[in-house]
Amino acid sequence: MTREEGVKMLRVPVVGSSPTGLLEKAIAVDGIWKNYGHVEALRGASLAVAPGEIVALVGDNGAGKSTLLKVMCGAVAQDAGRVTVGADDFPEGTAVDPQRYGIGVVYQDLALAPDLSVVENIYLGHELIWRGWRRSLGILNRKAMATEADVALRDLGIELPTVELPVSLLSGGQRQAVAVARAVKWGRQVLLLDEPTAALGTRQTSIVKDLVRVVAARGIAILIVSHDIPTVVEMAHRIIVMRQGSVVREFAAKTVTIAQIVGAMLGETSSQDGGVTSP
Amino acid sequence: MDELVQYSRWRRGAVPVVIILGVDIFTVLLFGIISPSHVFLSVQSFKDLALNGCQTALLGVGVAFLLGAGELDISLGANIILSSVVGGKVMATMASTNSGAAIALGVITCIATGAAGGFFNSVVVTRLRVNSFIATLASLGIMTGLADVLTGGYDIAGIPLALQRDFGIASLFGVIPNPFALVFLIIVAAGFLLRRTRFGLRTLALGSSREAAVRAGLPVRKNLTLLFTMAGSFAGFGGLIDLSRYTTTNISGHTTDALAAIAGAVIGGTSLFGGKISVWGAALGAMLAVILQQGLVVVGLPSFYQLIAVGVVLIVAVSVRGFTDAEGRSTLRVVRRLQQGLKAHQSGKEVVRASE
Repeated sequence: MTREEGVKMLRVPVVGSSPTGLLEKAIAVDGIWKNYGHVEALRGASLAVAPGEIVALVGDNGAGKSTLLKVMCGAVAQDAGRVTVGADDFPEGTAVDPQRYGIGVVYQDLALAPDLSVVENIYLGHELIWRGWRRSLGILNRKAMATEADVALRDLGIELPTVELPVSLLSGGQRQAVAVARAVKWGRQVLLLDEPTAALGTRQTSIVKDLVRVVAARGIAILIVSHDIPTVVEMAHRIIVMRQGSVVREFAAKTVTIAQIVGAMLGETSSQDGGVTSP
Repeated sequence: MDELVQYSRWRRGAVPVVIILGVDIFTVLLFGIISPSHVFLSVQSFKDLALNGCQTALLGVGVAFLLGAGELDISLGANIILSSVVGGKVMATMASTNSGAAIALGVITCIATGAAGGFFNSVVVTRLRVNSFIATLASLGIMTGLADVLTGGYDIAGIPLALQRDFGIASLFGVIPNPFALVFLIIVAAGFLLRRTRFGLRTLALGSSREAAVRAGLPVRKNLTLLFTMAGSFAGFGGLIDLSRYTTTNISGHTTDALAAIAGAVIGGTSLFGGKISVWGAALGAMLAVILQQGLVVVGLPSFYQLIAVGVVLIVAVSVRGFTDAEGRSTLRVVRRLQQGLKAHQSGKEVVRASE
């Protein structure tokens, strides 16, 4: 199958309201099953995110949100089901490198090295090396790294005194911003965020919300896993509710109330909550 | 912004180098003033300091890289002994036929043995997943035992004198001892490796957050293998310096080398918990231990006090950090554990000797 054919095949309606209406999917999971021993963590979960769309994945503890995120970023191989990014399917039965598929991931603990500078963290694993004889010695082109990192941060509206600062000196919001900038730099199609506002204050949360909107405006599909329902309702275009390993409800963020989301999380269904029950 | 950059440099170890250099100079001057006829400030005394200190400084740099990556190697002293024994055996065996070839092959063997010792440690740590403290405590015993087995407990004689004449006791321009010059060049290269290369950056990342390094896709096993092997090859150089200075091995020595190296690295600004390395700080910190040892001898205190001096300086230096940051407070606990481990090993060794 060619890339064009793949994209055409994926041009199917997305449930709910995406910012640009019905579009192709940047990332889609279909009928994902995952067992840990006797525990069924995922039971046929399906969802899709369009380019430029912000989707929030919510659910009670043990609903399967984190497991689904791990499957979507390739860290955990699903037992059954399909993960499609653009026109490419993840190979079956094996973990994959998310960056190869243009997926950037921001983990809850951010996975930043606190003693390294902002620029070093952004380029860790993707270091720029000089050409010629210096390449064989692995000599870093620090100037180019700093310049490019500075541009990448400014493009996202992230203001830092200098990219040479160690991450340990940054505030929680700034660290989150650096983690997002790194994920966006190496994941050009999809951004997966795990609890991006956990442990952040009001002002820091506001920084992250603005940043997520800026990233989405660049056409990157964003999936946010969070317990912070009021915040994700503000940020997202669409809210997807998981319960007992399955996607049970989808809401347009503009019209949903927190009570309706909580009701869906607890298994209460109503024909008047504006949501769509997943098959 | 300038203050922030300065603070970040401080945290990265640039400023502690200046401090530790100042402490080194102060200690030398102090011993110079109180030593008889100010003999500690003589050219010969400086040459002795350079010769005695270069081995420990080299180990300090090697162990600083490991500490920076969140690992440890307390077998470096034993590795020096084993390297010198294997290299010395080769040299002594071949010396009667071709002195030049004996030296060349012996030098290669010495460094290769050290590197092999480090590689062995890396295999135990990365493949068998044994904590590096335990792994190198075990290899300390293995290497010391192997050296005893190979020599029967006697130092090796018959090393070609040309090695001593042309390298071990020779000096550049008649002033700078050759082993010191060689070690200086290695330290310069190590500093370059740390600050300018991908390997250096990844070493710091491994120690700063192993999880972040793994998620960034770094080849953790490969990097750790290179680090342990590099530290081991530094110990191999140390063994070569032994052979070149004394034309024999020193199998009963080097018991406190690893401790002095770790002390030097920590005093010089390297974090015991990874993420921060100061190459020059480690070298100068290791030199401080040597200055103290040599100074105490010159002022007439018995050699037993040398051991006490290293321990006391380590505790004082780390305590100072303990009062300045929370990390240092937990550092104290690790240092105590280290000292207990070394003490247990040494007492075990003494028991074996007594039974013989």
